[in-house]
Amino acid sequence: MEKKFMKGCEAIAEAAVRGGCRFFAGYPITPQNEIPEYLSWRLPQVGGAFVQGESEVASINMVYGAAATGKRALTSSSGPGISLKAEGISYLASAQLPAVIVNISRGGPGLGSIQPAQSDYLQATKALGHGGFRAMVFAPATLQEAVDLTYNAWEYAERYRNPVMILMDGCLGAIMEEVEFPEMKELTADNVKEWCLDRIDGREDDHMITPILPEPLLEKLNIGKGMQYKMWEKLDTKVEEFMLEDAEYVVVAYGIAARVAKEAVLRLREEGCKIGMVRPITLYPFPKASLNNLDYTKVKGVIDIEMTIPAQMREDIELQVKDRCPVYEYGRSGGMLLDDDGVYEAIAKIVKGGE
Amino acid sequence: MKQSFVFSGSGGQGIMSAGITLAQTAIAMQKHSTFLPEYGPEQRGGSAKCTVIISDAEIISPLPKKCDTLIAMNELAYAKFIGDVKEGGTVVVNSSRVKTTARDDVKTISVPVDDVALELGNVKVANTVLIGVLIGATGIISKDVVIAALSKKFKEKSPAIMELNIAAIEKGIELGSKA
Repeated sequence: MEKKFMKGCEAIAEAAVRGGCRFFAGYPITPQNEIPEYLSWRLPQVGGAFVQGESEVASINMVYGAAATGKRALTSSSGPGISLKAEGISYLASAQLPAVIVNISRGGPGLGSIQPAQSDYLQATKALGHGGFRAMVFAPATLQEAVDLTYNAWEYAERYRNPVMILMDGCLGAIMEEVEFPEMKELTADNVKEWCLDRIDGREDDHMITPILPEPLLEKLNIGKGMQYKMWEKLDTKVEEFMLEDAEYVVVAYGIAARVAKEAVLRLREEGCKIGMVRPITLYPFPKASLNNLDYTKVKGVIDIEMTIPAQMREDIELQVKDRCPVYEYGRSGGMLLDDDGVYEAIAKIVKGGE
Repeated sequence: MKQSFVFSGSGGQGIMSAGITLAQTAIAMQKHSTFLPEYGPEQRGGSAKCTVIISDAEIISPLPKKCDTLIAMNELAYAKFIGDVKEGGTVVVNSSRVKTTARDDVKTISVPVDDVALELGNVKVANTVLIGVLIGATGIISKDVVIAALSKKFKEKSPAIMELNIAAIEKGIELGSKA
């Protein structure tokens, strides 16, 4: 298939349409505006609906409504807007509704800056909303990966009846590179789920809300969710392991940071350093085994590279390293970008200096 | 071979457009390319910068610290980014606006692209003249392929705009190869 030279946000939007998305609601915020802009003309072409909501809160609740009808629904935003959607995302998880939420992240906290940053890792992986639920978090590093993950995101959302997040920083949202799109998914009657509104025969009271549940029922729901999260870990963890075999130092990085770090790893390999990399593609479930199973008789250090300060993935890394070697971190923050030389020098100082 | 270019200037000077044209032309020549824009919250007139990487191999990191070639369309952009050029690199300056140069460890190519574009009929094609200068001076992309790309881009606007841009490319190449 022909390759297209495309902007990250637009590539995600097109991949969503091809993956079956037929409803979008969102509210503008930099650096993700090209997603709604693209979908505002693209969705009507395929019989879908685009709504620019009056707020983030309204938009996420429209997504809730659309998901309840069995349509593949999407919203996108950036850090401050995702915070506003938190309530709605938690309600989606509670009502067991599938939806995809894209966060093109920028500098934080607060209004932060409009420049790229990886500052929403903790929010995405630990608490997208109140109540202790989890969502799968996909973190693409290239636009091709962003296309492929977005295209299939609803398969996961519907399989587990749970929201799915795509977390990508503003760099990858704005960058243009070549992508290849898969065919448009043809959704048949089989794709209309038995659980959605108007699908359950004989049900008199056809609505889908998250009421105050009787406590034993709510506990049961949460036990089920807990079991599901364990299942994700087994079945759905995605990770790239790079040059680990003889590695004495292991870099851990995701998304844009992983691309900059990989360049540094290759440069250090050329200089004879035994260094490799673990790149989580799913941030939740976190690829625990890739770090837990490293050969710690060889590994002298694990280096966390993130475009945020302080590093947020570090705790997940430390839980797997279990004090078997030191964990280091390097990053930039607030919309200041990582760069090849900066990351190389930071890693080289640890590896060569034996610090 | 991997080469990085930084186009810089202010909003409205066609910085992004020039960067995209370079990247698209490289891709049409079966090379790999990335284009990364950076701009502030301003709708017009703020600083504009984009980084283009062209490579024979797949591009891993799109965030180089230093670039091989800087294109500076105004004094402010020149001052801001001249320090980011590799030693021995190339700097193309719009000498209609950039009056002072600061480094002698880089090759500086000065062309008054605003004035050249005005002479051709419209200052808006200054960025196209600049791409021509880049081709003339470095040969990084093919003249035929970039003309094909511009023809495709401007064909729908009007034949006059298309021709003006082609004239701008050709004038730029002429000036760039002399520099």
